[in-house]
Amino acid sequence: MKFLMVLAGVFTLPAVALASDHGPVFGYATPVNSQRELSFDTGIFGRSGSQATQLSTGSSFGYGLTPHITLNAFLPATFGAGSLPESRIISGSEWSAGASWRFLHSVTSVGKRIESTASLGLVVPGPQQDSGVLANLHRAPGVAGSVATGLASRSQYLWAGGGYTRFAEASNDRRPDTLSWSGVYGYRPAKLRRGYNQWDYRGFAELTGEHTGNVQKSGTILSGSSTTSVWLGPSVLAIFKNVAISGGVQDPVFRDASDSIYGHEHLRFAINFSYLKYSSHASSN
Amino acid sequence: MKKMIVAAFFAFIPLAAHAEYERVNLTVFGMDCAPCAHAIHVSMKGIEGLDTVDVDLNTGLVTIKLIPGNSASMRQFNQAVEKNGFAHKNAEIVVRGKLAGSANALVLEVSGTQDRYALSPMAASLDTVSLLGKTVIVTGELPPAPKGKIPDTLRYKTITEVR
Repeated sequence: MKFLMVLAGVFTLPAVALASDHGPVFGYATPVNSQRELSFDTGIFGRSGSQATQLSTGSSFGYGLTPHITLNAFLPATFGAGSLPESRIISGSEWSAGASWRFLHSVTSVGKRIESTASLGLVVPGPQQDSGVLANLHRAPGVAGSVATGLASRSQYLWAGGGYTRFAEASNDRRPDTLSWSGVYGYRPAKLRRGYNQWDYRGFAELTGEHTGNVQKSGTILSGSSTTSVWLGPSVLAIFKNVAISGGVQDPVFRDASDSIYGHEHLRFAINFSYLKYSSHASSN
Repeated sequence: MKKMIVAAFFAFIPLAAHAEYERVNLTVFGMDCAPCAHAIHVSMKGIEGLDTVDVDLNTGLVTIKLIPGNSASMRQFNQAVEKNGFAHKNAEIVVRGKLAGSANALVLEVSGTQDRYALSPMAASLDTVSLLGKTVIVTGELPPAPKGKIPDTLRYKTITEVR
């Protein structure tokens, strides 16, 4: 089995998913940083296809401007050539920066809250080229927006979200627009609802989907370059105070993509590490 | 003149040292995971005068013990919760302060802070008139307050004179 490597971003996802340290590793979720909290995430994403397997890695930084607004930036690096479709669930080589706003925050009881978060970010092509049909396109910046909503509690989690990314045209080329969506269910068994000074574990079932539009090259739409795929798989999150490790795999449950253009992508996986630095700043009395 | 200033300074020290929160058991809504609790812990520890902080995720209870002579305020405890995106609810407190007001409208002034509470009894009214103007220890419960505010009223269980 061939392994190609692409250093790219774990969190090039529209910024909602930047808070992966609190939630799923693939899907959209609502958590944002605390006020003055700094977060750092780094990890490896993999996409295994019939033409190649590519790995992505990158680093993401977040800062909590207020309890409900987080600024974030993502710096990737890429290696290899997987010839795979555009994806915003698993990122490519784009650099991105943006903000997440938790615009709905309903704290209903001990350990439970319902919230919704919107994100908007600027996506800028990184210095490294993509592979396959996307490789020779002139690249231009894009805008990525997303919304997630859901429930967090001591026992269960439920999130749904969607995002849209649109790239500008450059020299009559344009990367495909991408519509992404996800649904995530999480569960923490009763035995693991422990104190905060012990490891905190929870498991997720993550369903993600993406539709990518057609690739435009020299003003011409490349026939059959549009794709749709739906992925399902488990992930696990472990947190100890301010350190989090998560990992998961996904298999396709639906796939409509040209094998001749993209090959046959059959597995996605991710491992992520997060460090959270909370602020001890206190106001004067 | 210098001696008078020094004498005045030392005369006020005991007052400040006898007016403070001793313990705050604050119920917090919305914490689902260990980092939530850790964030609260770190934020509370940033408040000057705290001795220990314990966070129970399953009950949402944040137990704060303070060192003698502290000047921490209820607003600071609430802000430590708010900045992490959670909601503060009832708080059971043990606090020292000066009993002011009148027999029908008792007020507790927590010196060294801006905190000032109207007192209302939880059960049958105690004989508190004799304590007016004195430094007392009050145990009681603060109801939930809107974000950025502290409650106006402290529902007290006990009031005892500090001797």
